[in-house]
Amino acid sequence: MATAAPRPRYPVAGLLSPIPSVLQPPADDPDTMVLNLGPNHPSTHGVLRLVATLNGETVVGLHNELGYVHTGIEKNMEQKSYWKAITYAPRADYNAFFCNELVYVMSVEKLLGLEVPRRGEWIRALFTELQRLHNHLIFLGTGSIDLGGIALLFYCFRERDHVLDLFELATGVRMHSRYAQVGGVAEDLPAAFERECRQFCRMMRGRLDEYQDLIGAQPIFRDRTKGIGVITPEFARQYGLTGPNARASGIEWDLRVHEPYGAYRELKINPVYRQNGDVYDRYLIRIDEMRQSVDIIEQILDGLPAGAWQADDRKVVLPPRHELHTSMESLIHHFKLVTEGFRVPAGEAYVCVEGPRGELGCNLVADGSARPWRVHFRSASLIMLQSVAALCKDVLIADLIAILASLDPNMGDCDR
Amino acid sequence: MEVVPAGRPNAALHATDIESLVMTTTMEKVLNWASSNSIWPFGFGLACCAMEMIAMLTPRYDVGRFGSEIIRATPRQSDLMIVSGRVSHRMAAPIRELYEQMLEPKWVMAMGACSSSGGMFANYAILQGVDKIIPVDIYVPGCPPRPEAVIEGVITLQKKIKAGIPPAYEATRSQS
Amino acid sequence: MSDATIETPVAPEAPSPRRADADALALEVGGDVREHVGEITVDLPAERIAEACELALRAGYDFLVDLAATDHLGFGGDGVGGYWSSPTGSGGTRDLNLRGSTGLAVVPQPLGPKRFSLSYQLLNRAAYPPRRLRLRTWLSDGEPAATIVAVFPAADYQEREAFDLMGISFDGHPNLQRIFLPEGWDGHPHRKDYPIGGEPVQFSEEV
Repeated sequence: MATAAPRPRYPVAGLLSPIPSVLQPPADDPDTMVLNLGPNHPSTHGVLRLVATLNGETVVGLHNELGYVHTGIEKNMEQKSYWKAITYAPRADYNAFFCNELVYVMSVEKLLGLEVPRRGEWIRALFTELQRLHNHLIFLGTGSIDLGGIALLFYCFRERDHVLDLFELATGVRMHSRYAQVGGVAEDLPAAFERECRQFCRMMRGRLDEYQDLIGAQPIFRDRTKGIGVITPEFARQYGLTGPNARASGIEWDLRVHEPYGAYRELKINPVYRQNGDVYDRYLIRIDEMRQSVDIIEQILDGLPAGAWQADDRKVVLPPRHELHTSMESLIHHFKLVTEGFRVPAGEAYVCVEGPRGELGCNLVADGSARPWRVHFRSASLIMLQSVAALCKDVLIADLIAILASLDPNMGDCDR
Repeated sequence: MEVVPAGRPNAALHATDIESLVMTTTMEKVLNWASSNSIWPFGFGLACCAMEMIAMLTPRYDVGRFGSEIIRATPRQSDLMIVSGRVSHRMAAPIRELYEQMLEPKWVMAMGACSSSGGMFANYAILQGVDKIIPVDIYVPGCPPRPEAVIEGVITLQKKIKAGIPPAYEATRSQS
Repeated sequence: MSDATIETPVAPEAPSPRRADADALALEVGGDVREHVGEITVDLPAERIAEACELALRAGYDFLVDLAATDHLGFGGDGVGGYWSSPTGSGGTRDLNLRGSTGLAVVPQPLGPKRFSLSYQLLNRAAYPPRRLRLRTWLSDGEPAATIVAVFPAADYQEREAFDLMGISFDGHPNLQRIFLPEGWDGHPHRKDYPIGGEPVQFSEEV
């Protein structure tokens, strides 16, 4: 894997000034034209609008227009109780929906001081890794079609349907399952889950090798992606890049390894890094991460502890339904939790997880009542879109598409 | 006249009597049959529902079997605009513009709860239903709807077209 | 015999490296350090925020993770306490075992002196173990904050978001305009006095 670094095709990107996120076009140049990409465009990963100034095919000016799917999720969450607000969270980053729910409930648990039982933590880690596979499959499929390779879209979505089958087996719905609950997960894994998941892992390894061959060895793909959009470590630090975008440049930072949380404290994670930081590396690192996820999923299935999947604290967690027939306290707890909800002590907490896009965080402010005071998601997509203009200085427009695809932004995550 | 032995598989091809050779129908029925079986969607993914819309196009669910084989990126070449996702106020103007650019006959599917009625987002940011700005022919509930549900929406739309019900803009046009 | 035992003086526990960093920073810029649920927050005056970010950068906190703006208007208005109290907190019986209950009729204190808070989450990856620090500043309505784009360029869009949704303006920001909402939008939706919006749903009388 260690080959000589490809010579960058363009001068390596640096910080833009005065506005870091805007590439200023040269003033009064009659040879330029303004091209509007989006908000409806097959390659913009949702409703992103790029206003590009082109001189021929070269991008000489660029800025983003966001907000085409601004939903007010954070404000809606303030209107509902903590439990009911979980429903809004996955709609933010809709490719990594479980991670959104997870980070929100983790921040609530931090302020409550609630401990999640081991099995709950391990199931959460399992779903996080499945979610990472889901996101990277969509990335690979749509990223490939952006470059013109349509076949991989169908293959990746075929695998994605297998992941969604697993979600449906455990939770009943394909997407936005609201499986993460304050105190653990909503329900235990069904008996057939382990068998289906292992079968999926066996199949997935073979498929990942196919994908590696399909794009990694393909000369057209290599020509279009090697040496393009090089991100240096300093650039990544300045522009706040985390996750695979940073690890492809050699930055050794993975929350699962360096700031482990939940079950990752007990699991053995082999971090994946790449060194060149170009578009090619950003594609390949995600295939490597998919392999890593499959390994982690098998590790979790091998060591999944028995026991409770949700905390036992009846002031916060709903009692099991069968107890409502026999226990008066359970009935009262259930009633209280469903009508008003539990109260969280006042304070501010920030929790982050290693989402598929990078660091996904939730800054929760609670005021002692039963509804969140302020929920703010640290969105990796919003922050990474600042770097698009700097990376696309004087590139061809086809390379602009490749660079944008390789960053893997998600507009739901960006606009919320 | 050539005598064709009974029981030959392609006897119909060799028939020579007028009743077997000619079918009478109306022009409208033929056009409806043709357009309902070749509804080309316009790839208009806004949010989460877009993922299930793309899943609908992939081989497992394969809406191509029902005639929606080609998903076009340009409104000029598509028949059905599937509004998949929540419509923010900022997005309303582009949606209207794209709708105007589609050629008639054209249909609109409001896929999912958010485009049907605002969904769970009853707030300042989201249009409470895309039918506030464009006429909608078929609503598919769900958050997000399963790909099978969207296919059922397409099939119901096909039945609607075959039954001769005009597209939704006809109704608004006749009102004004 | 006396019960007096010779007590060996015990050295006070050395503060954690994070705490030491925070204390040093707070001393420089005139802020207060607070620790809650394992997180360290330095509350500092608004005019010192850019300087504090510079100092933090030099101390190794070279990564800006997050910039969150919060509106504290009406904080704690729901009250606390009571098992059967209504959501608006109009008294009721008390349940001391209720998680989150801080006592009988104690209303939680506001987290800070002014209406708006800006939380800057910083990260030091080079340290082992990695350290996180929150710098927090408080602003009144209409009071501008200083931009930190010169120190952390990643704050560009995040400050625009705070401006768009909360109405906090940043002096010195090179491109302070709305980011999510359309340009002519009136108001700042994430403020507490901005209504949630939407449409009233008409329920029909007949079944």
